[in-house]
Amino acid sequence: MKRIAAPALARLAAELARTHDVFVPLAAGDRLVLGRLDPAAPPAAIPWNPWRLSEPLKSIWFPPGRVLARWPRPAAPPAPPRPRALFGAKGCDLRAVSCLDRVLRDHEFRDPGWCAARESTLVVAGDCTGAADSCFCTMMGDLPHPRDLFDLCLSPLEGGFLVEAGTERGERLLAGHGDLLEEAPPGAAERRAEAREALAARVRKGNERFPVRDPFEKSVAKHEGTAIWGALAATCVECNACNIACPTCHCFLLHDLPAGEGAARLRLWDSCFHAGHARMAGGLTPRLQLTERFRNHYHHKFVSFPRNWGVTACTGCGRCVEACMGRIDKRECLHRLETRWIPSEVPAEVD
Amino acid sequence: MGNDFEPLPARVEEVVVETPTIRTFVLRPAAPVPFRAGQFLQLYVPGVGEAPFTPSSSPSEPERLEITVLRAGRVTAALHALRAGEEIGVRGPFGRGYPLARLEGREVVVVGGGVGLAPLRSLLHALFERPGFARRVSIKYGARAPGELCFRRQYADWAARPGVDFTATIDRPAEGWTGRVGLVTTLLDGMDVDPRTACALSCGPEVMLRFVARKLVDVGFPAESVFLSMNRNMSCGMGICGRCNVGSVFLCRDGPDLSYAEVRHVPYALG
Ligand SMILES: Cc1cc2nc3c(=O)[nH]c(=O)nc-3n(C[C@H](O)[C@H](O)[C@H](O)COP(=O)(O)OP(=O)(O)OC[C@H]3O[C@@H](n4cnc5c(N)ncnc54)[C@H](O)[C@@H]3O)c2cc1C
Ligand code: SF4
Ligand code: SF4
Repeated sequence: MKRIAAPALARLAAELARTHDVFVPLAAGDRLVLGRLDPAAPPAAIPWNPWRLSEPLKSIWFPPGRVLARWPRPAAPPAPPRPRALFGAKGCDLRAVSCLDRVLRDHEFRDPGWCAARESTLVVAGDCTGAADSCFCTMMGDLPHPRDLFDLCLSPLEGGFLVEAGTERGERLLAGHGDLLEEAPPGAAERRAEAREALAARVRKGNERFPVRDPFEKSVAKHEGTAIWGALAATCVECNACNIACPTCHCFLLHDLPAGEGAARLRLWDSCFHAGHARMAGGLTPRLQLTERFRNHYHHKFVSFPRNWGVTACTGCGRCVEACMGRIDKRECLHRLETRWIPSEVPAEVD
Repeated sequence: MGNDFEPLPARVEEVVVETPTIRTFVLRPAAPVPFRAGQFLQLYVPGVGEAPFTPSSSPSEPERLEITVLRAGRVTAALHALRAGEEIGVRGPFGRGYPLARLEGREVVVVGGGVGLAPLRSLLHALFERPGFARRVSIKYGARAPGELCFRRQYADWAARPGVDFTATIDRPAEGWTGRVGLVTTLLDGMDVDPRTACALSCGPEVMLRFVARKLVDVGFPAESVFLSMNRNMSCGMGICGRCNVGSVFLCRDGPDLSYAEVRHVPYALG
């Protein structure tokens, strides 16, 4: 395995910036957010985020607003996007990407924008070296380090980084920058494994206060039609922040409007917490009550996404916990869904 | 790579006024749009928006689509303002379509309400083009008033086919109307079909679907043999924009027609 020193990593990013839009963690107040590296003034070191950024990575490939189509249809296909390189992705971020790949790429219909942007982005991921209070990837059966979908993965080690290629593209990049690399010291791989295990143990320990045993699908599905949702959603102010911050949430609105001589179709982020989200002609909305929308959010992540796409649509990144104005903690909700029972008051069609 | 969000141009060839609020648009898409009966399309009015509709024409004519539209709001009003010669867009088809294979050799009861007869008409075309495929086709249709009945000129032709009968009803008595009066559910009492082996398909307003389904089950249909065209807000058509789900089922992809057995225990599924 190879090692790259911190200044050499910054040089790699600066070189990439000549041909790529390079996104790196940048300080904004007391937080790190994703920002574009200025190729004219490359930093001496790439800021290291110990855990996932506040911003979900979907904002890079599935931006809050994008033109999806124009009318009349343009004669020429759209120009391919400028290649990108992305630093700062963590294991949970990549798990979320795998959810969105299922929805936007790997089935009968494809989102050409997502596919092109994914294809042309070099992902430089990294191990977590700390955890936020809200992190619970281990509860979701995951681990706080990247396992796939990265081109390169960095693991901090003694002033530099152990660097592992996950794709051929990553291999080629390393092969082309041999001057920036050195051989990893003996025992490096073992020390990386120990550090990873130690952090996983810490995240597990931090979440011991939310004991859950049953599969989430079972805990959520058994409350279809029960009144527990009113209790869970008691402090929800319907701000939608949980959906906006979530790296797997992908509800969207197609918005058509006149543009120049023709028309354009925009895709905008949307939220299933919004009362008008599923509104039909004539103003009817099937999820009028907040409790129904709250339940739908859990149902989608823990029941319907697994049934339709094969995986749970929650990575345990904790962004929704951090973002919630009502201090609603998803872990607490999952715990209560497993252990409490409030009987039905919902009118299902039962004869 | 194709762009599934980009509508295909389609020229409006003819506009047929069915009722004061319902029009049928005959469309010539720039390329044939093959569809199965019951699959739906998104019609796009440039710069205004899209809305979902199930063609009312025969699936054997993918190069000439008929779409029957009730004026209900923004997009449908823009559609109603169209004249022959104008160009709009279509996307699709989406969804699974009617369970045609399940109808083979069976008595089929088709229950429509208002503009809900439009999607069912593509099924009728498909059945009429396969004489003997269904053992029997019994059409029950309800509208509020005589002037709101769609496709009036075609009833006689349908009823004249072997094994086909057609009955219409209107909600309240009206001058000059000599046919049945009452909700469409009143046509479902005392039918001469064997409910244990027959199959029913219904499309119309949600409340109507609820009462039709209950009535059919009351008269002996298994809930598995009653198919309802579920109405939800459908936008992307691909099962991903997050609007049309009933429980875990995304109707735009796995519907819009579901059996009563699949929806009856899902909270709020039928209003
Ligand atoms: C599968 C399927 C097949 C159908 N087939 C037929 C058919 O064959 N014939 C037929 O007549 N009808 C059919 N319909 C019903 C038809 O799609 C609706 O009547 C149509 O969508 C109404 O569109 P509208 O823009 O005119 O109505 P509106 O009431 O103006 O708008 C309805 C849509 O716009 C959104 N909207 C409008 N205003 C707002 C606002 N202020 N804020 C937020 N959202 C807003 C709503 O959320 C909703 O998506 C079908 C529906 C489905 C689901
Ligand atoms: S639901 Fe919350 S914890 Fe789960 S992926 Fe979304 S933001 Fe992260
Ligand atoms: S972030 Fe909290 S308050 Fe806002 S919509 Fe989500 S659950 Fe409700």
